[in-house]
Formats: sequence, structure tokens, C-alpha cells
Amino acid sequence: MDLTAFDTSPQDVYWAATIFSGLVLIIFWFEYRRTRGKLFVRENQMKRRMYELSILRELGERIGYSLNVQKIIDIIRGSLGKLLPYSIVAYMLPNEDGRLIFNVALAEPVSKSFVAEVKTRMLKSFSALFDEVYSADDIDESISGVVTDPANPAKVESLFNVPIVINNRPAGIFTVAATKPDMYKTSEEVEILYTIMNQASEAVSKLETVLEVEKGKLNAMVASMADGVLMVDNQNRLIVVNPQTLAMLGITVPEPTIFDVLDTLSEHFDLRTKIEESRRKDKLIVEQEIEIDEHFLQILISPVKDRKGLMLGSVVLFHDITHDKELEKMREDFTSMMVHELRSPLTGIRSIASLLTTDKVKNEEKKYKEFVELISNNSNSMLELVNDLLDVSKLESGKFEIFKRPGDLRHTIEQRIKSLNALAQENKITLQYKVLPEMPQTLQFDENKIGQVLNNLLSNAIKFSLPGGEVMVAAFFCKKSQDLPQQAANFGLPWQGLKAGAVCAIDAVVVSVSDSGVGIPAREIGKLFNKFQQLSTAMKSEKKGTGLGLVIVKGVVEAHGGQVGVFSEEGKGTTFYFTIPV
Amino acid sequence: MADKAKILVVEDEEILLAALKEELLTGGYEVDGAMDGLQGLEKVKSFKPDLVLLDLLMPKMDGMEMLQKLKGDSETRDVPVVILTNLSDYERISEALSLGAMDYLVKANYKLEDLLDKVRMVLARKQ
Repeated sequence: MDLTAFDTSPQDVYWAATIFSGLVLIIFWFEYRRTRGKLFVRENQMKRRMYELSILRELGERIGYSLNVQKIIDIIRGSLGKLLPYSIVAYMLPNEDGRLIFNVALAEPVSKSFVAEVKTRMLKSFSALFDEVYSADDIDESISGVVTDPANPAKVESLFNVPIVINNRPAGIFTVAATKPDMYKTSEEVEILYTIMNQASEAVSKLETVLEVEKGKLNAMVASMADGVLMVDNQNRLIVVNPQTLAMLGITVPEPTIFDVLDTLSEHFDLRTKIEESRRKDKLIVEQEIEIDEHFLQILISPVKDRKGLMLGSVVLFHDITHDKELEKMREDFTSMMVHELRSPLTGIRSIASLLTTDKVKNEEKKYKEFVELISNNSNSMLELVNDLLDVSKLESGKFEIFKRPGDLRHTIEQRIKSLNALAQENKITLQYKVLPEMPQTLQFDENKIGQVLNNLLSNAIKFSLPGGEVMVAAFFCKKSQDLPQQAANFGLPWQGLKAGAVCAIDAVVVSVSDSGVGIPAREIGKLFNKFQQLSTAMKSEKKGTGLGLVIVKGVVEAHGGQVGVFSEEGKGTTFYFTIPV
Repeated sequence: MADKAKILVVEDEEILLAALKEELLTGGYEVDGAMDGLQGLEKVKSFKPDLVLLDLLMPKMDGMEMLQKLKGDSETRDVPVVILTNLSDYERISEALSLGAMDYLVKANYKLEDLLDKVRMVLARKQ
């Protein structure tokens, strides 16, 4: 209709207005309908969203800190009815023993064959998901909800599987099935299922990650412990065992169980009984000195409880006390050696002194003189031992004091050489002395104490050199990070058994005493500066001496901020050196 | 006693050896000394003592080893041995006695009479 073609009359205007209004009304009506439809959909969406949220909140609260997937799935299943219609809802999960849990809840009284079909279809999906073939025999089934109705002919018309995924690993499947066709086809329905499953698995995954991190920290801590640690639960199943435990017990099987541990200990004591006893009495049990493979273990067994006091299991700690025992033994040996070293000569002195009073000895001039000399020598060496012991004990208690003053080290060395020349000649040993260039004129050091150090090193060198041998004393300057053996070689010093690697820590003067003696076996070198081992070695040696000299050398040099070292080659000779910082 | 009984003292502590030798000389015995087990074994063969006083803790060859060697050799098996020892050595004493030593003398604080008594007793038992 072409309105503009009319001549405008009031009637025409009326009609036009009427038609126009009608059109507007129609348009508005359509518009209204459209908007209403949109609102309705939005309202529905909101409703669903609210459901979802409330379910998720409920899930969140009820899941709490549970990592038990089955529990979580149970919760989801319990709430799903509010969102989706179904005849049955089921899930399938692997359990700890490698079997399958098939749990189904009936919302409608379907038949057993309905359930069986769902089970078969789920099993198929499950096998595909886990890439492993499971049969119906692997299934532990449990059915809840309304009672099955054998007479219900309804078949499975709709079925939907959702995989349960935790931390990107498949954990099981969740399935809804209905007797009505064409369900679970719309994106909304599917979305609900996926959303809920995702949220749940995300929550568990996060929790699992947190726990994994915590567990990782704990494991790292346990693994890095020097002591052996193992934990068992209330059923005495091994939960944690660190490598130290296995090493201490000599267990080498790849995946040890508590039985490996129990077996290893069985000949010493019954760990299982002790673990149970400690849980029963709720107290720490300590097993002292269990000897395994020449190692002594102290074993502590303690119950473990959570914050509420609920018993969780037990922890067993293995503490290697071999070293402590060795130290104790060394200390005992040291004491008895010391007593022996002092008592034997003292007994001799007493006997000889008493003999000196007898007329028989009095009248024999030669014997008399000999006995007096014996007393004198022996009291001297005893005094030496007592002095050495005092020095060592001062060094150990940190009461050893040095008084550093500027002095000429060369002078100190010369003096000591002079004083020991007689002993050297007696042993047919030549003493040599070499001062190398760049030696500073003055140095801060304690002249008496360094004199004692030189004395000890020189008399050792003379003592352990063969007749006709040579002892060389040298002093030179060594710059920070300079290679010490290299320096010695450059200067043409007769250091035997040189090994690379010794570096001057700071600018220092190096003093070395080298002999051409029997040398020291490599395994003995570590013992040289240990007082306990030195005295007992000295006792067995045919050379006289307390063996404490080197312990004192080390103490004095370290008090100066210097270092001591030794190079040796059996049959060729030994070099002891020490440094004094410049 | 027609002949003087011969006693060998094996002791590494020089002054104690000197004292023991002198004391036994004074007691009327013929005495020789050795300062370690090796020397001791040689002296047992050359000096042919009627009694050996033997220290346990010695360099080169200790008393226990020397005792074993003595008892393992038919030539020297019957020479009586008295162990010289320190107070705290009960374990060693019983070991030495089980190896065939006849008696022991505690070195610390021994008196001249104790020494001579013990020697007399052991020599008498031997006859």
C-alpha cells in the first residue's frame, strides 16, 4: 500500500495511524516475546549456575582435605540429582589391590540387566581409558538406592561417561544412564557433568600437588638425614624408608618392605614386637648397641600421633654410634697408654732408687753411675711427656696461648739446628739448612713456640732417618694461591712423595723439614696429628717418644694462623712443612 | 742349690729392666735381659733360662706372641713364664695364663720380696 499516493484526508490519516500503530504493536509484541525468551533462558542459566555453585561449595567443604577419590565421587554423585535426571548413576575406580570398584546408585527401579549393561559399557570405556584389559571378574560391585525391579523391561536408552582425571592422570569413570532416549545430548547437560567433574578433579589435583610438595620436602629431609629413618602405619606397613636405613642394614633389594627390615634385625631383636609395644605403651623405646656388619646402631622406636592424639603409626630411627664408640675406645686406650707410659718408668725409678741405697750397688762405682743416669734420663722423659700432655690439653681446651712478636725466623731455625746437631751427629745424620730468596726479614711469631715446633719436627726427622742420611730444613716465601709443591720443586728441595694440590692459602713463609728416612705409609698419614692414635702408635714403635709432638706442632702452627702438611714416600723420605702467615 | 737358677727378664722399659735384673742378682740368681719379644726368643735359646719374666706390651714382638712361640716350640715349651703386667690387664692376664704362663706379677708397686717370693715359688713348682 502506497500511502503517499493518497490525497491526505482525515479518514486516510486515521487508517494510516491505525495500521501504523498496529504494526508498531506487532513489532513490539515480537520484541517483547524475544526479550522475554532471553530473560527466561538467562534465568534458567542463573538457576543452573547457582546449583552448580552450591554443589561445588558443598563439594569443597565436604571434600575438605580428603584425597580419597572414591569419597569425593560419592559426594558428587549425591548432589548430581539436583542438576540432571538419570535412572542410575555409577562410577568405576581402581582400588589399591588392583581390583575395580563398581559403585552404582539407582534413582529408578531398573532391572538387573540394565545395571549389567551399564557395567559392561563402563568396563569397556574403563579398559580403553587405562589402556589395560579388565574383565568382569576384577570387579567388586556395590549397589545402592531404590530396589531393582526384575519386571522392568526398560533398556539403556541414554548413557554418558565422564572420565575422572586427577593431575592429568585418569583415575576412573563416572557414568549416568537413563531409560529415556536422547538424554545427555544437549551441550548444557554434558557441560554440567564436565564442569562438576573438572572442578572436583581440579580441587583434588591441587590438594594432591600441595601434598606432593609437602611430601617431597619431607622425603628430601628424611633422605638427607645422616640417621636412618623409617615409618610404618598402624598395620606396620612401610610408608617411608630413607637410603641411610637401607645402607645401615645392608638391604639392597630394589623395593624393600618391612619384612626385609624385620629379617635383617631378627637375629638381634624383634622390631615388630618393639614397634607394637611402643604404640601400646605410647612411649619411646631405645635399643642400645645393635651390632650389624661391624657397625653399632642405636635404634629408637617411637609412636606417631596426629594433633588430636590419634595413633598414625610408628617411626624408627637408626643412629650409627660406631664412631662414638671408637672415640670412646680411643680415649680409654689413650688413658691406659698414658698411665703405662708414666707408671713403668716411675716403678723403675723407685726400684733403682731403693737399690742405690744398698751397700752392694754403693760399692760398685760403675753400676752406681749407670743407675743415677737411668733415673735422670727417665725422669727427663717423663717430664717431657707430662709437658706434652699439658700442652695438648691446653690446645684442646683452647687455653693454649701464643705471644707473637716481630722476630727473625732464620735466627730461630739456626738456633734449633745448632742445639740438635749433637743428636744428629750421634745418629750419623747430616743437618742442612737452606734459606731461599724473598724470605722476609722479620715476621710476627712466638719464638719459643715455633722453636718447639722446629724441635719436634727436627728430632722426629733425625729419629726416623737411617745412619748416613740427611735432614734438610728450608724456608721460603709462598704467595697466596701459589702451588706449594711446585714452589718446592722450583727451589730444588728434596721433598719426597710430592702430590699436587697443596696451595698457599695466604701469603706465608713456608718452613719444611725433609728427611731421607723410611717414609710413612699413606694410610698412616691421617693419623699423624691425632693424639689418641699417635700415642698408641708411638708405644708400639721401637723409637722412644710420646708421639704427641706432631699434635703440638699442629696446634702451635694453627694458633699462628698457619697450616701444617706432610708429603711422604715409603723408603725415600718424608717432608713436614708448616706455614706462618706474613 | 748347687747351680744358680737362671732368669731371663724381657721388658722394654730400660729402667725397669735394670731394676729387675739388679734385684734378681741380689736375690742370688743368674740374670739376663731382653728388650723385646724377638730378642727374648733368641735369649731363651742361647741363655737357656729356668724362668722367664715376660712383659706383655713391647715393640717388635709383644709378650703374648712371644709366649705363644715359646709354648709352640718343644724345645722351650717347658720353660716356666711369669707375666709382668699392669693392674688393669686382667683380660690379658687370663689370656696369658690360658696360653700356659704359670703366674703373673703386677709391676706397679711390686716389692722386692714379692718378686723374689714369686720367683722362688715358681722355680720350686717346676722341680
